[in-house]
Formats: sequence, structure tokens, C-alpha cells
Amino acid sequence: MSYPDPDEPVAPARPGVRPFLQSGPKHSIGGYTPTGEQPPVEPTQTNTLRPFVITAGRTDGGDPDIGMETQVTMVPGAPPSRLSPETRAIVSLLEESPTSIAEISARLRLHLGVTQILIGDLRAAGQVDVQVLENDTPDPETIMRVIRGLRSIS
Amino acid sequence: MDFDPSANRVVGTARIPGGAAPKKAPVPVKIIVAGGFGVGKTTTVGAISEISPLTTEAEMTSESVGIDNPGQATMKTTTTIAMDFGVLTIDQTLKLYIFGTPGQTRFAFMWDDLVKGALGALVVVDTNRIDDCYPAVDYFERAGLPFVVGVNTFNGQMGYSLDEVRWALAVREDVPIISYDARFRGSVRDALLVVLDQALDKAIRMKS
Repeated sequence: MSYPDPDEPVAPARPGVRPFLQSGPKHSIGGYTPTGEQPPVEPTQTNTLRPFVITAGRTDGGDPDIGMETQVTMVPGAPPSRLSPETRAIVSLLEESPTSIAEISARLRLHLGVTQILIGDLRAAGQVDVQVLENDTPDPETIMRVIRGLRSIS
Repeated sequence: MDFDPSANRVVGTARIPGGAAPKKAPVPVKIIVAGGFGVGKTTTVGAISEISPLTTEAEMTSESVGIDNPGQATMKTTTTIAMDFGVLTIDQTLKLYIFGTPGQTRFAFMWDDLVKGALGALVVVDTNRIDDCYPAVDYFERAGLPFVVGVNTFNGQMGYSLDEVRWALAVREDVPIISYDARFRGSVRDALLVVLDQALDKAIRMKS
């Protein structure tokens, strides 16, 4: 076992113990506990079209069904409706294949929160379907399939 | 102006594909890759993903502007939360998403969304900056998400042994601490398999 030279400026001191003992639930991670009570902080970006312009002033995603990996599909034969450039871009992306929220956000360079709001709009307008999974927690069979799938790659 | 509402639009003689394409969306599953700036999250995601890692930007609290501390290792700066993610198609009906997320405390507000339904997490550790991973370890412990600590060996070098890392993190005995190399697909695959093993254990426990 060799330690880096402590006099070496880039060498860090021996790491301190994770201060978990003094962090009761009240002061864990800056007061944050995984209860889901804290509202997300809303966007502040000034270098491009500001997100709230695209969402017509709304900053609240509002739809708890829509997560980052949630799959969105086109509704076949949906009635035509007036779409903003952003929502039209989403629809044409979905024409190719079902896509996740995160991929839509990344490919169209829309903020994640903006994408969630726009998908909520399109869903309400009957233009897209959002896949809702019955069970939130993954079942052993699904995990086994992922394991087998991963093992098969080289 | 109105367009033809037909689902099978015809442009010239070319039919726009999609009408006949399988419209059934795959079931998504996800694994979280967490860690500080510059520890190798994106490298990890990129090594296993079948597409080049995509970046999605989420909002960032204004208080965090300018206080990023990427350490001495990088000159990386960022003004938004850029989250890199990759995709691995398991089969027609199952798709694995790998999300790389900043492990800092101030991003914790978005972790709830991220871990919802996640199989597990790989906490990436750079032994030069072990402290960076504390918030992520704290969070995953409290959230009850199966996680594995993966020490990224970069150039085959580790400042500390795995035992020392375990001592510093003081995680439960059943939390695996492994070393891996984020640059190599096989190494990342093996690290993720350890995560999945933990996830499977938990899923079986939950079921019985």
C-alpha cells in the first residue's frame, strides 16, 4: 500500500470520513431529504430564448406521469391542430419512432422542464400518448432481462 | 389553413414512413451514474451507450452559478445542469437508459425525479476528490436505492485502496466498492452488472 507524498502539492490529504454521523435527517445534503416535498427550482437562463416564452409563461410541469425516460408515442390519425415550432418539431421527431422525454429534450435542445410541459400540452390535445407504467418499481424478471442483455454485449 | 388530416400522408409518391412502423414503445429502465464534475460520468455513459451520449439541460439554481469546483484535474465549467445520458437497447421491448447526474448537493432537488423507478446507481469516485461523492452516497442510502461505489481508475492509478475508500465512505458492508475503468466498455458493463445484481437482490426481497 503506497501513499502519495504528502508534501506533493497536488496530493490530497487522506480523505476524511464521510460526515454521516452528524447529519441527522434535518441537515442531510443541505437540508434535503428524499421525500419528494421540495418543489423543483425553476429555470433562469438568459442567453437564449427564455424557456418561459416557449411555454407561454408556465413554469410548472404539472404532470407527474412524465418522467425523463417516459416514452412518448404519436397518436395515429390525430386531428391536425395549430402547433408552435417547438411542438411541431416534437411531433415530427415522434413520427420516426417512440422516444423518451430525455431524448426529445436533447435532440431538440429544449430544456427538460420545457419539454415536459410541451409534452403535457400535446397529450392534452390528443396529439401524443405518454406511456404510463403500472408498477413503478422494477420486477425481478425485468432486471434479469437487463442482466442477460448486458452480459451479451462485448 | 388546413392540412389533410389523413394519418397516412402522401408526399409525391413517397409515403412518409411511420404509419406502418411498430408504434409500441419499449419499456424503459434506468440506471443512474452519479458523481462530481470530471470524475468520468460521461465517459462511463459513453462507453456503454449505443449512441453518442446525449445532453439534456435542466434548470440550475442561480445561487450555484460560479461556485463549481471541478478541482485541480479539469478546467470544466458549466452554467446549467447538463445531464448526459446514453441508451442501450436490450431487446424490442426493453430499453436501458443510463443517466449521468452531477452528484453535488445543490442538484439534489432533481434527484427525486431521477431515482423514481431507477434500478440502481453507480457512484463514480475519483480518489483525488473522494468528498465529491458524499452527497450522492448520502442520498442513495436515504432513498433506499441500491447503489455501488465505482472507483474510476483513470490510467490504472488509484490514490487509495478500495479498503481505504470504504473506510472513508463508511458505507454498509453490503454496498459493493469496486474499481473500474470508465474508458472501457467491458469494464463499465461489469460495473453495471454489479449494480444490477444489487437491484435484483432488492427486487427479490421486495417481492417475497
